[in-house]
Amino acid sequence: MTEDILKISDLSTRFFTSEGQVNAVERISLNVGEGEVFGIVGESGSGKSVTALSIVDLVESPGQITSGSIEYRNAELADALEADYPDAVDGEFVDVLSVPESVRRSLRGPSFSMIFQDPESSFNPSVTVGEQIAEAVEVQRRARADPRSTRARTQGVEYSLSGYLTSALLPSKRFVTTESKERAIELLEMVGIPDPVKRAEEYPHQYSGGMLQRAMIAQALAGEPDVLIADEPTTALDVTIQAQVLDILSELQREVGMTILLITHDLGVVARMCDRVGVMYAGEIVEQGTLADIFEENVHPYTAGLLGSVPVLDDVGGRLRPIEGNVPSLLDSEMGGGCYFADRCPKAMEECLRKPRTFDGPGSDDHVSMCYLADHPYEEGEALSDEHFESTGGDDR
Amino acid sequence: MLKFLIRRLLQGILVVWGVITVMFILRAVSPGDPAVLMAGEGADDEIIQRVREAEGLDEPLLSQYLDYLGSILVGDFGFSWEARSEVTAIVIRRIPATIELAVAATVVALVIAVPLGVISGTRRNEPADYGATLFSLLGISTPNFWLGLMLILVLGVWYGIPYPSIGTSSFSTGSFVVEYPSSIGLGLFDFPTGRREIGFTAAVSAVLFEQSLSELGAWLRHITLPALTLGTYFTALITRLTRSGMIDELGKPYVTSMEAKGLPRILILYKHTLRNTMIPIITVIGLQIGTLAGGAVITETVFNWPGLGLRLIDALNDRDWPVIQGIVIFIAVGFVVINIVVDALYNYLDPQVSES
Amino acid sequence: MISDRVRSNLRQSFSESLLPKIGLGILVVIVVMTLFAPLLATHDPTDTGHFDPETGSEYPPLGHSYETEVAVDGEFTEVTIESNSTHVLGTNTVGQDVYSRLIYGARVSVIVGLSATLLALLIGVPIGLLAGYYGGRVDDGLMRVADTMLAFPALVLALALIGVFGERPVGIPDPIVMAGFAEGMPATIPIPGTVTIVGALVIWVWFARVARGEAMSLRNAEYVKAARSFGTSHAQILLKHILPNSMTPIIVLATIQVAVIILLEASLAYLGFSGTTLSWGYEIERGQDYLRRRPWVSIFPGIGIMLAVISVNLLGDWFRDALDPNVDQSERGA
Repeated sequence: MTEDILKISDLSTRFFTSEGQVNAVERISLNVGEGEVFGIVGESGSGKSVTALSIVDLVESPGQITSGSIEYRNAELADALEADYPDAVDGEFVDVLSVPESVRRSLRGPSFSMIFQDPESSFNPSVTVGEQIAEAVEVQRRARADPRSTRARTQGVEYSLSGYLTSALLPSKRFVTTESKERAIELLEMVGIPDPVKRAEEYPHQYSGGMLQRAMIAQALAGEPDVLIADEPTTALDVTIQAQVLDILSELQREVGMTILLITHDLGVVARMCDRVGVMYAGEIVEQGTLADIFEENVHPYTAGLLGSVPVLDDVGGRLRPIEGNVPSLLDSEMGGGCYFADRCPKAMEECLRKPRTFDGPGSDDHVSMCYLADHPYEEGEALSDEHFESTGGDDR
Repeated sequence: MLKFLIRRLLQGILVVWGVITVMFILRAVSPGDPAVLMAGEGADDEIIQRVREAEGLDEPLLSQYLDYLGSILVGDFGFSWEARSEVTAIVIRRIPATIELAVAATVVALVIAVPLGVISGTRRNEPADYGATLFSLLGISTPNFWLGLMLILVLGVWYGIPYPSIGTSSFSTGSFVVEYPSSIGLGLFDFPTGRREIGFTAAVSAVLFEQSLSELGAWLRHITLPALTLGTYFTALITRLTRSGMIDELGKPYVTSMEAKGLPRILILYKHTLRNTMIPIITVIGLQIGTLAGGAVITETVFNWPGLGLRLIDALNDRDWPVIQGIVIFIAVGFVVINIVVDALYNYLDPQVSES
Repeated sequence: MISDRVRSNLRQSFSESLLPKIGLGILVVIVVMTLFAPLLATHDPTDTGHFDPETGSEYPPLGHSYETEVAVDGEFTEVTIESNSTHVLGTNTVGQDVYSRLIYGARVSVIVGLSATLLALLIGVPIGLLAGYYGGRVDDGLMRVADTMLAFPALVLALALIGVFGERPVGIPDPIVMAGFAEGMPATIPIPGTVTIVGALVIWVWFARVARGEAMSLRNAEYVKAARSFGTSHAQILLKHILPNSMTPIIVLATIQVAVIILLEASLAYLGFSGTTLSWGYEIERGQDYLRRRPWVSIFPGIGIMLAVISVNLLGDWFRDALDPNVDQSERGA
């Protein structure tokens, strides 16, 4: 077990929409160790992408992080911020939610970087791929060159509008320098793009989906991030290409020793990549632990259901058992007080109408679950009756 | 790219040919005997007959048409009935003033509209956005001749902002003066107008060779109000388009991706989203050049600006068809050329188009 | 033609935004001015000579006064001209009541705007539908004509056409006056006839283009193919299927074009090419020589034009947002 690099506790992110308050992320806590691959798995709408965006501070209005802390271990940063923000610093850890937005911005790139589900829409179509990657390199290069790195990078000293205009008019004052362009080509080569010199000059629409996803990985690596957040990196790709992209990710992870937070709905990807896993449902992490804990020792019926709904190739006779019902709406006004999964849960009991707390799981030391069953046996006598569902309106929606 | 340009050029030639044909037909069906108009007042029948023969007006329409096409090909638009000079010379003499005005108006429009649109699009539903929206609504709805008069009234008359009055501006080498009686004021009042007495080139050469800024200052004073008047509709339109374009672009996933890689906001806004917003706007600007030309006719009349538009109005009042034809054809050719340039620019800026 | 979905979209965007409400409010005022002009006007708008009796000067708007010099026995003396309570917005340079002319000006703008747009619809839509539906040579021909027409700036083409047709007003009888409800008001009002026709000739191409685009996309629609397979005639398909389904963008375009025509009419009248003097644009021209001392003559008709165009533009935006987000800004023309 390595030392933690990221400690998230009690993080809540809410969206204040015209229909009401949506609790996209609900008091989640998780620890990510340095150099490990942590998977967050769940159905779409379970809040996993919002969790990722919360870490990099890219939750868009009307969304807002309402509580909790995200502690990130970086001794250098902690030293630099200790004087100005003593409350945010705890030893080597910095609570990124307690520092100003400018500092949080500066973390994007060298500390956290992110790759997205749809590579095609994640590149600007009218700028060459090489240029876009070189920009990411350049930003970090300039920040490092300036001793007051975090400040210079965040307060846009060098990026005034006039600076931009001159850079557009005078080729010698371009934002992106030749060194950064060369580094971009190296990065493209690193992610296995053939003929990177030529490819760097091409536009996104000239790339195939898989190539573009690799280019996006290269772009995310440009800042040499401590933590790479990959949000459904393979969902939009063909199966054969998925494997290639995953191979590149794990290779990089081994070589650079980078920490990866992998967000996916695909348990196959989780099994292949992750050291530890958190299972999300309705904005909560309902169970987390090592890969073995989740796959072998799981106690939460949702985890079991999720595993059951995946076709297993070597179990030809086994039937695919989808979880009945749908992910609940996350509207605050419609969320009950009990376990959110209760109305779909095959093992729901009277106890489940109370808000569940976290129990230690039977697996490794890290194994925790938000299910009453982790601590108690299932008793059929206490099962929730069907009448209950009708009376509370907990039907399929 | 070359193939595209050639195709576009051929289309343009076809359009210009169409325009020439339409103008010929309009003249042919317009009432009044051109020979009578050409011969001038008090000419007797014999002279009229001679004019008719000399000008080939007794020949069949088709051969007149072919003659007309042929002479236009060599740059000859005929002879003004009223001013007794070559139409080509009249047009060429009037072009600089109109181009100055149009370019100044476009510059005013871009300088105001693009930042306004960006502010409005990035700060939705804030006071700045409401202000910009209101401005653009007023801008596209205000008739520009009235706007010009109100600018004169408010700035020149009520606030007394120094503005060149008729005949007070000095001019020197190379300056371009057209003697025109002021239509505003009829001499009853010392009324400020934007009358152009100094050409841009003259002003620039004064700066370069005489190190004198006063000419340039005079030129600026002359052109400011006409440029604002002509540019307002454009400004409003581009503000509108920039605003909605920025809102569209900022909602695209690549913006989040750029935020995630740590790019400064200003770089994202100006290098990426604004650039992508401007690509379609350039096409619209090209299409709206026609509106600008129409607006120039009005603006030149209001401010007595000696360009093509003012000359067109005079020619219309005189029913001076060769001049009407010459100016209209010239404006149409300008429109076609500008649109070809705009298409080429669009091609250059949008890699996805040039690919296909 | 107007489905429930469209109606609910319209209602929703109306209730969500303030702008359509403002637009509709102004429009109602202008329509009332148009319909009941003889009842709302205080004077015959063509009646001249309402001057200050002693100095022969124009009246300023209520609550205002101005100074002017008058020659008395060869000597200039400064006198103050006070407003006259019967001339709310003052009088113009020939002594006509500015308020009454403002009311009647709305009538001219609205009639020209609507009739020219209607005429353009009647010319452009059938041509566009036929070209788009049949394609081929007809379509090529139309597109060439359209390209040529669009190479002319609208105002310049209008001016050239007026050079051909001249400037002829058409007298339209006023039913309210004929019925005897408004004594002393003009029995007919002159509408710039050539301007109406010229306006339609300038903008019909936009309708043809939009109709063509709709017909082209609809001709391959499944239900049109199905109708063909039942042996429905081309004429019936065009009338029953294609025309009703292409109305939405055409209505949006028509709304915007009304504003274009109102501005065009005002511009032509300002330049002196409309053939009538009872027009907002002409009033502005009339006042401009005396802008310094009698600015009201030009100010009020300008506000009239601006409000009329704003209301139509707001309505156009409302329709476009609610009905058809795909009509491009570049189709606005002008």
